Amino acid sequence: MARKMPSDPFVRCPVPLAIVLLMLARPAYAQCTSNASSCVTCHETQGLRPVLQSAQPWHVDHGFGDLCASCHAGDPAASTQERAHVGLRRPLAEPSLSCAGCHADDASARAERYLALAVGLAPPPPTPASPTAGASTGSSIADRILAVLAVVLALALYFVVRRELTSERRSLFAWLRDKTWSPYAAGVLLGLVVAFSEVVCGRPLAVSGAFDKLAAYFGRWLFPASQYYGHVMTPGITWQVWLVVGVLAGSFTSSKLSGEARWRWLPDTQWEPRFGASRKLRLVIAFFGAALVQIGAAIAGGCTSGLAISGGAALAPAAFLFMAGMFAGGIPTAWLWYRGRVD
Amino acid sequence: MLDIAKALVLGLLFGWSLHKAGLTHYARIVNVYRFRDMTVMRFMLTALVVGGFAIQAGIDLGFAVSAPIPPTSMLANVVGGVVFGVGMATAGYCPGTIVAEAGEGRLDAWVAGLSGLLVGAIVFGLLQPVTMPALARVGALGRVTFASLAGASPWLVLLVFGQVVALVLILIARVGRKTP
Repeated sequence: MARKMPSDPFVRCPVPLAIVLLMLARPAYAQCTSNASSCVTCHETQGLRPVLQSAQPWHVDHGFGDLCASCHAGDPAASTQERAHVGLRRPLAEPSLSCAGCHADDASARAERYLALAVGLAPPPPTPASPTAGASTGSSIADRILAVLAVVLALALYFVVRRELTSERRSLFAWLRDKTWSPYAAGVLLGLVVAFSEVVCGRPLAVSGAFDKLAAYFGRWLFPASQYYGHVMTPGITWQVWLVVGVLAGSFTSSKLSGEARWRWLPDTQWEPRFGASRKLRLVIAFFGAALVQIGAAIAGGCTSGLAISGGAALAPAAFLFMAGMFAGGIPTAWLWYRGRVD
Repeated sequence: MLDIAKALVLGLLFGWSLHKAGLTHYARIVNVYRFRDMTVMRFMLTALVVGGFAIQAGIDLGFAVSAPIPPTSMLANVVGGVVFGVGMATAGYCPGTIVAEAGEGRLDAWVAGLSGLLVGAIVFGLLQPVTMPALARVGALGRVTFASLAGASPWLVLLVFGQVVALVLILIARVGRKTP
């Protein structure tokens, strides 16, 4: 992995650095953990033997959660096909192992119904064709030209951003210690991080999902009979949880270097003139706001990072509908809090 | 292990960019909705376009078959966005910035923000069985993109999208004011 780093001016900018990182990374043709547990994402998103479009009704019937492993076994947390498919079984051949896990009372009756529907369907082969075969033949000349264009654009952006950043020559360290960067420079960094996460790791850069997974520990304890915590949102220390740990460390490092890391209870500006210096009021409002943010993210299918930015960069309409909703909710709310104030 | 290391490094850079963009401030988040400070939009839209091009480049270079596509369910996406926006304009938080604010030493984020996220997640867990099956069905298109819907090249979609964003950002820069 060790390769010589580009010399000084390049180190300053995340663009070439990230391109190098992208080149060094190992290819990820068959990564199957795009969402929390994600047989569905590999089979649906990447289009490798999609199941939800199939004529077999049990897949659609069970599409409300990541339930694949309940019937098929295998390892829904593994990130390669070989590991994910270890121990895979034929659900209808052994309803006592598959259906009975959730439908203990009438497993055989349910299996009968599906078996009747399955008559005439050829049993699918347990090992699908290697997905790498399709990928290597995929790119045309036009695609290659466009890829080069993207790199050129990234470099152009780099020069634009760099000119904005450094009017005088400064050391790399001084740049790292800046209190703020141009939002464009920080945005370029975030864009590359999102792309790396999506393309190399096969996952959206999602924060709110981690809290769903952590809260599920409490949820399962409080509501042991809940279908939601039993099957749809199972607790776990997922990839996203580690991402959140990284965010904490990144913000700490950045603020420590710029001398802004310190304990405090209230926002620095604008809060006190409007709401006063009461810590209690800040905590109450912050708590309810945070809860609403998490509920909204769960309804929409992701938060600002996991849906709006990650999904938007992947050109999913979901992201733009979500952002439209954000403004539709946020503008009247901010108006209500601040109406009649001049600041 | 390598997976966890990647998550930590990506998280670190993400948290770094959130702090350097100045998104760890209540005022900066709330003032987007008052059209007083468009820093957040500059940051997000830049990330969207750069991310979009980099993702397509990564796919064409053969690093992946596809990016993970979030499912589009029109009503759920919009309703979730509205609830999210209400919370965001109230507390000046989104999930990522709560964590970034905690990293900066803000005790309101540690005490109220993180617990609010967890309690919100549990409240959603109670609402999910009664609301989501119906809500998610309205306008459900599945895991689609604008390119797949239109049958167009994602590069063309990106080019148009990038130009629109560039225009919006230039307009914002012309009229925008900044929170001191």
